[in-house]
Amino acid sequence: MAGKPGAAAPTYSPSTGHRKKRPTIQTDSEWVRPDGRGLHQCRPAFLKTGAVNSSSGSAYAEFGNTKVIVSVFGPRESKKAMMYSNAGRLNCNVSYTTFASPVRGQTPETKDLSSMLHKALEGAIILKSFPKTTVDVFALVLESGGSDLPVITSCASLALADAGIMLYDMVASVSVSCIGKNLLIDPVSEEESLQDGALMITCMPSRNEVTQMTVTGEWSTTKINEAMQLCLDACSKLGKVMRSCLKEAASAPQD
Amino acid sequence: MAAASGTNDLSSEMELDAFRRLFPLSFHERHLLESIRPDGRPLGRARDTSLSLGAVASANGSALAKIGCTTMLAAIKLEVMTPTVEAPDEGCIAIDFHMPPICSPLIRPGRPAEVAPVISKQLSDTILSSGTIDLKELCLVSGKAAWMAYLDIYCLDADGALFDAALLSAVAAFSHLQIPVVSLNDDGRIVLVSEENGGSMKEKEPVNKEKIKLKMNSQPFSLTCILHKNYILADPISEEESIMETYLTVVLDTNYQLVSLNKPGGPGLASTSSIQDCIALAQKRVKELQQILSEAISDMEVD
Repeated sequence: MAGKPGAAAPTYSPSTGHRKKRPTIQTDSEWVRPDGRGLHQCRPAFLKTGAVNSSSGSAYAEFGNTKVIVSVFGPRESKKAMMYSNAGRLNCNVSYTTFASPVRGQTPETKDLSSMLHKALEGAIILKSFPKTTVDVFALVLESGGSDLPVITSCASLALADAGIMLYDMVASVSVSCIGKNLLIDPVSEEESLQDGALMITCMPSRNEVTQMTVTGEWSTTKINEAMQLCLDACSKLGKVMRSCLKEAASAPQD
Repeated sequence: MAAASGTNDLSSEMELDAFRRLFPLSFHERHLLESIRPDGRPLGRARDTSLSLGAVASANGSALAKIGCTTMLAAIKLEVMTPTVEAPDEGCIAIDFHMPPICSPLIRPGRPAEVAPVISKQLSDTILSSGTIDLKELCLVSGKAAWMAYLDIYCLDADGALFDAALLSAVAAFSHLQIPVVSLNDDGRIVLVSEENGGSMKEKEPVNKEKIKLKMNSQPFSLTCILHKNYILADPISEEESIMETYLTVVLDTNYQLVSLNKPGGPGLASTSSIQDCIALAQKRVKELQQILSEAISDMEVD
């Protein structure tokens, strides 16, 4: 610590004097998205594999302002304390940088995210292909711009593919927010803070199988069906984008 | 030596990668005999370095530094604090170095790397003792409010020479730092001045017109060298660091004054002549890094 020691006095972030009033949302008004997208339009995705050299496989994903790096290590020896297992093990960990959120040091529950990432991926990995060993998937969120877990999951599946871990299919994930009567796909943080309900689907697009689905908040049956359909369509498009990213990386000249 | 001839016999039969994994020291020494290193660099040359400013949009200042494969991301966030009674005109800088599990296979979540707090303290000491930043520049209202700059450096890929890359990214982040315009509220709190507020707030002098940049005195740059027998290897990769354990870090500022010298033990001993050679290599490196930093800054300004 610089300056004089004992500077444990709390610091605060200078925010604007007038708090932004929560906009009163008429239930039948059209929501205008802050970044000018259509309601059913996802953010443009930038995906790149091989971001981290020290790992077996890695990927960097940038969806608007949400930036995530995922590194995969393994398959490597399981900890000695673990019992023998015929199938491989998956170990996931998600962490945030201190500057990921607008207010410094305010990170969401990463243990929760780690276990959700684990559940989303374990259905897609062919665990029998690496018995007795563990595959570690570590994610670091550099900047949190909304819809974090879907981006982390998609990026993790890309990293697993980059590491050569056998998968049944790529795993793509998209979330939908419900504000009033509007269904917004791929919400940003502002929209997430105003949402009445959220639905996230993680699926394997080519096999048409869902590995994880999370529904929170207020939903009617028709809305859920509509949202699910939106998500599945978006996931299949995202799956194609991920595959083309891998193809490009594989066909790029080796240096 | 019997051992060497033993490995020599094997080397003709073995594949290169296997030899590198099984006998790393002989592998590297064979290269050093030819005054070259496995990646083709001469002994005194550092790896390709690149710098990019403004990587993190939500921070007040940020930089991404890459030396070879070692990647560091530094970001500065400014918050307001009450200055201490002994130094009412000074702000504060808190420097923290993190090694998340993504950067290296040796780091597990929940068990922080051993080397992380060491580098964190080293960085803290170097940046503060070099006098690069005058803490008085971080003052807002004398005795009442000052800036606390939280500098967080994350290692995204660990491949040797971590301190050098971290210091470079920290210096670059400070040179990119823009202090926002703020004013003093009626409640005595500092608030950001936004265009909507207009002139209803009382304007305070320090940062009135536009976002200002921090003035930096001579900036520190460093070079880590490995000392092995009679060889001096500049800018080691992690493989070299793990097998040849003695290293020396020299930190010079832009006036070529010595800011810090650090040789943390190790089986090799550094003679005065090898220390002077390291300092000479560091001087060359300072020139290179200054050039890279000024190019990165001018690229930002063009945008």
